[in-house]
Amino acid sequence: MVETGIPKLDDYLNGGIPKGKSLVYYSQPGVEGEIFGLQTVYGTLNNGGTCVFVVSSTMPQIIKDQFKDFGWGINTLKDRLFFVDSYNPLIGAPSDEKYVISKPDNIECFNKTIIDIIKELPPSTIVFGSLSTIMDLCGEKETIEAVRNWNKLAMLHDHVLVYNFTAWPYSEQTLDLIKGNLFNSVITIGGIAERVIFGQYFGILKSDWAEISSKSMLFRVLRPGGIRIFIPKILVTGPFDAGKSTFVHALSTRAISVDRLGTTIAMDHGHIDYKGFSADIFGTPGQERFDPIIKLLSGESMGVFLVVDSTNPSDFVRAKHMLDITKSYGLPYVIVANKQDLPGALKPEEVREQFHLPDDVPVVPVVAKDKKGVYEAFEILIERITGGI
Amino acid sequence: MTGTLDMIDKLLVDLKNVGGVMACAAASRDGLLIRSLMQKEQYVESLAAMSATMLGAAETATIHAEMGIPTRVIVESDIGKLIVEGAGPKALLILLANKDSGLGLILLELDRSSQKLKEILK
Ligand SMILES: Nc1nc2c(ncn2[C@@H]2O[C@H](COP(=O)(O)OP(=O)(O)OP(=O)(O)O)[C@@H](O)[C@H]2O)c(=O)[nH]1
Ligand SMILES: [Mg+2]
Repeated sequence: MVETGIPKLDDYLNGGIPKGKSLVYYSQPGVEGEIFGLQTVYGTLNNGGTCVFVVSSTMPQIIKDQFKDFGWGINTLKDRLFFVDSYNPLIGAPSDEKYVISKPDNIECFNKTIIDIIKELPPSTIVFGSLSTIMDLCGEKETIEAVRNWNKLAMLHDHVLVYNFTAWPYSEQTLDLIKGNLFNSVITIGGIAERVIFGQYFGILKSDWAEISSKSMLFRVLRPGGIRIFIPKILVTGPFDAGKSTFVHALSTRAISVDRLGTTIAMDHGHIDYKGFSADIFGTPGQERFDPIIKLLSGESMGVFLVVDSTNPSDFVRAKHMLDITKSYGLPYVIVANKQDLPGALKPEEVREQFHLPDDVPVVPVVAKDKKGVYEAFEILIERITGGI
Repeated sequence: MTGTLDMIDKLLVDLKNVGGVMACAAASRDGLLIRSLMQKEQYVESLAAMSATMLGAAETATIHAEMGIPTRVIVESDIGKLIVEGAGPKALLILLANKDSGLGLILLELDRSSQKLKEILK
């Protein structure tokens, strides 16, 4: 099994790509699709595997620089990473790489080198930086025939083949084959403009070894960092003094609050970068007189933390009402049973009872003041938002 | 999608080129950043969230005071000015200007930009 290194994708694929399988990252033009192949190179190397990167649309040196931008040190991994250079010959420049495609517009030339690699190297991950570029140079039909053959040989030799492909206006037949039966798995990458959330997403169109989930994930590309699952807004709400601001600060990599005399009068805002997720967190005030502001803050949320003071069950009615004010019905939510350090704090199960909550709503014990339980709460909510399996 | 973002980028570049403008950004009324031209990228997301809250709070206040819907919020400090202006029902523009710049031309250009952003997001 080879990990793609893309957060969440490995979970969806039951751990990664099994030996002998092929996968294509199928991107709409204009989105950052080529990073997926690159991150899979790093994922392989990072787990001790051997990797071959076929560079078609830029110089190998530029790829190495990109690794640096992402903060992925490849110097120490160099002896397990080989480049196939099909770019320098195209522009008539010399190449220092181990493998060179002398005639990049001739599919036979690719065939020879790729087949040699497949036969000679121990089971490896072979990543094509741009299948579309090869297709542009060698022809659609010719390239597809070659790919079909490489995939079969790779299966026999236990390699994993990964292709970046940009869906330029090729013939419908070509695009159908690529989305259809040419590869064992197809990951689609596209852009969306849904109301005002502009973003990029990926989803699994096909995978013949894992049950596919129809969910799509928003992502962002960070430098350094690489691909992160992007959650544009998580709401933190709850009654007065429950510990919402404390919770936002405990969870966030960086956060600010608009507080006066210890109470929030406008909002808390925090950003978190954790385990492959990048999320922005919006905390509301708790006092009723700020309810008009709470309404302003809650639009477009993808999930909610409802923070309560576990020693103060008289506020639970207000807490429920806040789900109403924030129009959070239908969104995934987690109850943060805060202030568990205080004497008399209700246990999570007691909170659930007093709240009359359904069994499937998670109640997480937290001491926000000491950052206890905050990441557990985050992971549970994220799991709900991304429909984890 | 890229088309829309390119248009917003162009609009922001034009706005930033107006004399006295130091930075500008587009955000949603819910406080999510759409695009920005700012020095400190790290804080832009918080600024977007705060600006949406300011404009929203101003709107709530003026409506209750029977003053109608505010066009914009202008905040002045010793160092500069922060202006938040609505751009249709979904979005708003945030602009930072230096202290000595005259507001006349800036507000004129900001109005035009907000009209354009409203159209782009239709
Ligand atoms: N003992 C204890 N105190 C806590 C904990 N979390 C927060 N507090 C305290 O509770 C008080 C309120 O915390 P905030 O984070 O300001 O609460 P809030 O929900 O943001 O309050 P408002 O914005 O006014 O609604 C502060 O005095 C915190 O120090 C906790 O886990 N344990
Ligand atoms: Mg608070």
